[in-house]
Amino acid sequence: MRLFIHAMLLLTLSGGMLMAESRENGVFPYAYTVETLENGLTVIMIPMSGSGLMSYYSIVRTGSRDEFEAGKTGFAHFFEHMMFRGTKNYPAAMYDRMVTEMGADANAYTTDDYTAYHLSFAAEDLETVVKLESDRFQNLDYEEAAFQTEAGAVYGEYRKNISNPWQVLFEALLGKAFTRHTYGHTTIGFEEDIKAMPQLYEYSKEFFSRYYRPDNTVLLLAGNFREADAMELIRRHYGDWEAGYQMPDVLAEPAQTAERRVDVVYEGKTLPLLVVSYKGPALDVGDPVMVAGSMLEELLFGETSDIYRTLVLKEQKVQFISADFGFNRDPRLWSIYAMIKDEADIASVRTEIDRTIAQFRSRTVSDRQLADLKKRLKYSFLMGLDTPDKVAGRLARLTAITGGIDVVDRLYAAYDAVTPDDLRAAVERYLADERRTIATLKGRE
Amino acid sequence: MTRLRSIIILAGMLMSACSPPPSENVVLLPVADDPTISFRVWFKVGSQCDPAGKEGLAALTAAMMTEGATEARSYETILAELYPIAASYGASVDKEMTIISGRVHRDNLDPYYELFTDAILHPAFAEEDFERIRTDMINSIRKSLRYANDEELGKAVLYDFIYEGTPYGHLDMGTVSSLENITLDDVRSFYRAWFTGQNLIVGLGGGYHDTLVFNIQEDLAALPASEPTQPPPPEPASFEGLHMRIVEKDCNATAISFGFPIDVLRGDEDFWALALFNSWFGEHRNSSSHLYQVIREARGMNYGDYSYIEIFPNGGRRQMPPTNHARRQQLFEVWIRPVQHAHRHFALRAAIRELQQVIENGMTEEQFELTQRFLGKYALHYATTTSRRLGYAIDSKFYGMHGEYVELFRREIANLTLEEVNAAIRRHLQFSNIRIAAVTSGAEEFKRDLIADVPSPITYETPKPEEVLEEDRAIMAYPLNFTEDRITIIPVEDVFD
Repeated sequence: MRLFIHAMLLLTLSGGMLMAESRENGVFPYAYTVETLENGLTVIMIPMSGSGLMSYYSIVRTGSRDEFEAGKTGFAHFFEHMMFRGTKNYPAAMYDRMVTEMGADANAYTTDDYTAYHLSFAAEDLETVVKLESDRFQNLDYEEAAFQTEAGAVYGEYRKNISNPWQVLFEALLGKAFTRHTYGHTTIGFEEDIKAMPQLYEYSKEFFSRYYRPDNTVLLLAGNFREADAMELIRRHYGDWEAGYQMPDVLAEPAQTAERRVDVVYEGKTLPLLVVSYKGPALDVGDPVMVAGSMLEELLFGETSDIYRTLVLKEQKVQFISADFGFNRDPRLWSIYAMIKDEADIASVRTEIDRTIAQFRSRTVSDRQLADLKKRLKYSFLMGLDTPDKVAGRLARLTAITGGIDVVDRLYAAYDAVTPDDLRAAVERYLADERRTIATLKGRE
Repeated sequence: MTRLRSIIILAGMLMSACSPPPSENVVLLPVADDPTISFRVWFKVGSQCDPAGKEGLAALTAAMMTEGATEARSYETILAELYPIAASYGASVDKEMTIISGRVHRDNLDPYYELFTDAILHPAFAEEDFERIRTDMINSIRKSLRYANDEELGKAVLYDFIYEGTPYGHLDMGTVSSLENITLDDVRSFYRAWFTGQNLIVGLGGGYHDTLVFNIQEDLAALPASEPTQPPPPEPASFEGLHMRIVEKDCNATAISFGFPIDVLRGDEDFWALALFNSWFGEHRNSSSHLYQVIREARGMNYGDYSYIEIFPNGGRRQMPPTNHARRQQLFEVWIRPVQHAHRHFALRAAIRELQQVIENGMTEEQFELTQRFLGKYALHYATTTSRRLGYAIDSKFYGMHGEYVELFRREIANLTLEEVNAAIRRHLQFSNIRIAAVTSGAEEFKRDLIADVPSPITYETPKPEEVLEEDRAIMAYPLNFTEDRITIIPVEDVFD
């Protein structure tokens, strides 16, 4: 990761550069252009014909992963709320009014690895959007009272979320699985930290200054627009934004050497939940075993897997079972989730998960099975690209993790090249007992 | 491929230079450069057709068709065949409509079409699928709805409350006991009675070839020909005053929804005026919502506050209005997202008071103009995909409307005047006769407070501007006029039992 950041800095220092991408063989069906301003701001432009709408994503490559200081969990998400509190040029009410007049569908979200601000709007309003977005990213300005009111809204969001047993389970799971890395807390943060947020007005300015910088931000534009026009606007309105991203002091997680467990009682009624989480890798599309590992999610636990057939269709012990072997900036968790119909079956479902993994160690996946999986990944990706907003949304995570877009074609090329041996190697490397944390949740009787 | 099919395809190819013959039973939305094809087959059946004591039968039948085996394929085989083409199909069941829908990349149309039509034409209604699907539905009520999402629970209670005594007056999914009461024979009979060739409309959208239009109509003509009789439109009982159902539950925040039936449907003369009003008053998950500004923005009490003039299920999981929930009876609804228990009384007062103010004073010229500009463009987001446009086209057919809905909507909004909007508000909305549902802890105490109409002062952890505090003093004493007999408390264990 550190090497990658250095590479980014080198690119930034080398000055503004235009990289007109010419694509012929990639899976991504649209041509695109990438440009990096001198201050490090990366701009990805994907022109699409169609509805007259366009999508504008401002991706800040900071999420709950970057909350490395004690008492500050949930701050990236909270700060996302503050970004709607206006500037001197466009106070919150005026910002809201302008967004309203545009009839834009505007929102934001925060994840473990990044925070995304997105607007979907009629392409004729691009100039207004560039003005508004560039202004709040450079000149955010709010009073302490507004800051404290927003803290109340965030606490409301926490209360809404925590009525969901999964949220309760994730809090416990992450806390157990990570001893040092910031992936040990959920994105919304710990309740005590959220309660204390109203006192952190000064810190919020520090947070903005550290992370809301052009060299930590990617703009992703998709839809019905002319690249030259967009680029001219962006240069004009973001060109003076000062670089100065400060990398957070995120501690590396030591290698896990023994299985961990956490059992939670939920203050309500729910079917029992089981999560088996293995320490996964950071995204590295150059590593065929890593890429193969991410495919195990579908292969071992998808709707055509043996375990799905057994537990969902035949024995009907689980309400559902699924897995998420997703992509992250640092090694996080690759997890298998099950909602079990009867508490008495928790152990046998776990055994079935173990058996699934064990069997795969000694079994070679058939050519047909692997070809089907590759085809599924490709079509699943293509079918999710039918609007500008979906295109930008679909690319947001990969762009946030890597800072670019070329990773998309490289990822799908890497999927295509995966062999049965890569898959077996991935099971050996990642799905080892000592790398896992098992979490259960039971409702109150 | 059968010989008949070959002939049909050939006929289709010969005719592809011209449009397919118009049919009353088809909704077409060709989009030549869309590499995918969207299917929506609308059966004119919904939960209003559930027999008494077997509520949930429509939903269970549709799920059996789309989440179970067919006569030729086990469900495992179906999943295996869908897997490489990354496609799926599913059913949505509302009060009056059941939609079997799916979408596929045109590279994979042939294998998908076989599976999609097989599910509609030849469901196996296998015992093991029945047990699995019915158990999942019961668990969804018992565990998920009751205990994992207080907001959806509150809204579901509200809908039952508003439509009590009508065919709309039960959860589409049914109740625990009604689901337990359904047999596999009930499912088979229901399918035979309602999923017929005369009771469906085929919707197709995207980059399809005209042959597909012929094929699907021809193939679905194999369903029984009968045309079942539709139930009459529901007539919700009229009521006076504020009525409340409180679900007593161990929870850390109070979820509140309220509403009442209205006599305006999409396409009616006043619909557009009410749509503009509603967008100003409570545009779904949008900070432009007036209620959002009053309750969340100025006071930080919760996550958001919205209103609706058409049913809007699963609001927490969607940004834009759902399609294919067309109905002959609609409601006005306000959704207050969870507030601290200490603020529940205040929040309810604030929302009803805002409603009263806009009914009595109307929208201002400035509010009207801003909302008119907003909606004119925001409506572009309603139907960004072919599948959603097709959904709207089907709804338009239900309501007897013509032309592309979003275009019509924008045109009608642009033509409105402030006087028309304020007149429509006065004609159709009121603040005296409302049904309310709340999910909270300490329901008895809440009930006592409501009946006594005790003041509900609010305190903040952070300073607030004087104008907010002044308005607070008016809100905390705003009379709600509840009476004891109009508030019912239900333990959460008994909800939808």
